[in-house]
Amino acid sequence: MSDKNVPSIWERYLTKEIGIEFKACLYFFAILFFYCVYRIIGGVYVASILHMAEMIFTCYGICYLQVYAFANFDEAEQLKVRECMGMAVCTLIYCLISYVGGWFGKSILPTVLFACYLLLTYFCVFLIYKYKRLIDDKTLNAELKLFQTEHKKERE
Amino acid sequence: MKIDIQRITEGEESLVLRYKEATPTINRILDILRDQDNRIWGRIDGETVVVNREDILYLESVDEKVFAYTKDKVLRLDGSLTSFLMETGDDTFFRASKSVVINVNRVISLKSLPSNRIDITMEGDEHLIISRRYASEFRRLLRGEG
Repeated sequence: MSDKNVPSIWERYLTKEIGIEFKACLYFFAILFFYCVYRIIGGVYVASILHMAEMIFTCYGICYLQVYAFANFDEAEQLKVRECMGMAVCTLIYCLISYVGGWFGKSILPTVLFACYLLLTYFCVFLIYKYKRLIDDKTLNAELKLFQTEHKKERE
Repeated sequence: MKIDIQRITEGEESLVLRYKEATPTINRILDILRDQDNRIWGRIDGETVVVNREDILYLESVDEKVFAYTKDKVLRLDGSLTSFLMETGDDTFFRASKSVVINVNRVISLKSLPSNRIDITMEGDEHLIISRRYASEFRRLLRGEG
């Protein structure tokens, strides 16, 4: 195996950063959807650019926290104490920022609903990654069997 | 035993071995001549042991010492994992992490893990991990793109 095929430190760092950017965009759109639904229900048909800017920056910050401090809990193999703690802490930070930033008019009920929505989103993302890996398992094992069969034929 | 070694510049290369009894030394020489590409020499408790390359499940480097694991033996090998891979030149041996080389033909199943790592179940139910650094290369190898 040649070293040129193994990713360098820079490439590995870049992969991680792209992963964080992807995550930030994913959660930003999930939060934006909730925000838009809240506004529409309240009879407001415009969204505040300031709120959206706060959302995307909050998402970036929290995604870094998610990846570096809470071992990427939404991609975890199982939801254990550490992962659940990560979800709770991140949700709490989102809710605090949403409250201070007035995303939901500094009302308690929408903020509590927002917290529930975030936890549900985290759980759904966890399930999506889990099923993605299950599909990947099947592909990997099929390719492994093919590799072994071809090598067996070559040896014979 | 009389040893006669001649280096030639012309003509066909040949090797004649004349012996009365098949001593362990003679057997080792014969083994090398018969199947030199497929044998791995190692040591167990100071004794020299030979195993077929395909019997090796995986190799591990511990404190700069290389160990080869078969189903029932653990051999200490000379050299490093890199030198082993270079000498064998066989893509069935794959570097799974800095300290482990696996024999892909002795893998029972694979499991995709978070962060693009792969859990390998070897024969004998031993679990090893392909680190994210080497996982992409492993996927390419399985697809025949390596």
